Amino acid sequence: MIAAVEPEIGDVYAVVEEVWSTFLGTDEPILPEVAPVDRPQEWTAMTTVGGAWEGAVLVAVTDRLARDVAAAMLALDPADLAPEDVSDALGELVNVIGGNVKSLMPGPSTLSLPLVASGAVPASHQRREVCRLDLSWRRQSLCVSVCVPTGASPEPGPTPDSSTSTSTSEETR
Amino acid sequence: MHALIIDDSRTMRTILRRIVTELGFETTEAGNGQEALDALEAGLEPELCLIDWNMPLMDGYTFVTRVRADPRWRNVTLMMVTTESEHGQIVRALAAGAHEYVIKPFTPDAIVEKLELLGLVVQEVPA
Repeated sequence: MIAAVEPEIGDVYAVVEEVWSTFLGTDEPILPEVAPVDRPQEWTAMTTVGGAWEGAVLVAVTDRLARDVAAAMLALDPADLAPEDVSDALGELVNVIGGNVKSLMPGPSTLSLPLVASGAVPASHQRREVCRLDLSWRRQSLCVSVCVPTGASPEPGPTPDSSTSTSTSEETR
Repeated sequence: MHALIIDDSRTMRTILRRIVTELGFETTEAGNGQEALDALEAGLEPELCLIDWNMPLMDGYTFVTRVRADPRWRNVTLMMVTTESEHGQIVRALAAGAHEYVIKPFTPDAIVEKLELLGLVVQEVPA
């Protein structure tokens, strides 16, 4: 039986804020957007949790933000980054956010290796978004969302990325 | 002193390398437990292994059990550095022979503090 527990949005925000400030510093804090924004389409990183709680954590960011994140984490100039660097940094970021979201939920459970796509993750009828954070860092938008399998709740809901285009490339680490 | 950094993320290996290099360690990197085990088999003799849990080919827990089962590597200090924060997982890793456990995200100070506890780093006390 899959637990239909959903994370509290405030707890997820606390996780994201902690991960962001630890890896990327506190000089430029991550902030909530004052109004909902379009989900960034250029990079999406995702990890899934399986076990007593099942779900997925997705981070969608603009290309500029992705490069700024990778440059900060790797201590490199953004101009010197290869696409693999950006993919790896985003994968680690979603891995840590996902692992800490997992710790908020019933266990035991396991975390998948991250999946990073240059583009958006296609909509899926197999999951529904139960938590969405529209955030801003360095005046660039990012979106962190938590999804659960549609079978985990009696209430069907909208799927994420219902208006997004297909991804152009994917890779796993 | 030599540290073997085992993580499938190059980003995380870079972050850890910066921290331990600053402390005077030389470093070798491995992208998974099997690569790390191969490095040990080839003669690498690190004082410290920093080990992620979730990796392809061989995870960090399996690496710890393999190292602890071989008397050649009994003196290597093993520190898990991972997002796995469930109490049961931490207990499993420590019972398998890991000496310390750090949960991501971590600050450089958290790593230094653990290495001090393990006696691998001595912080200078200001006069």
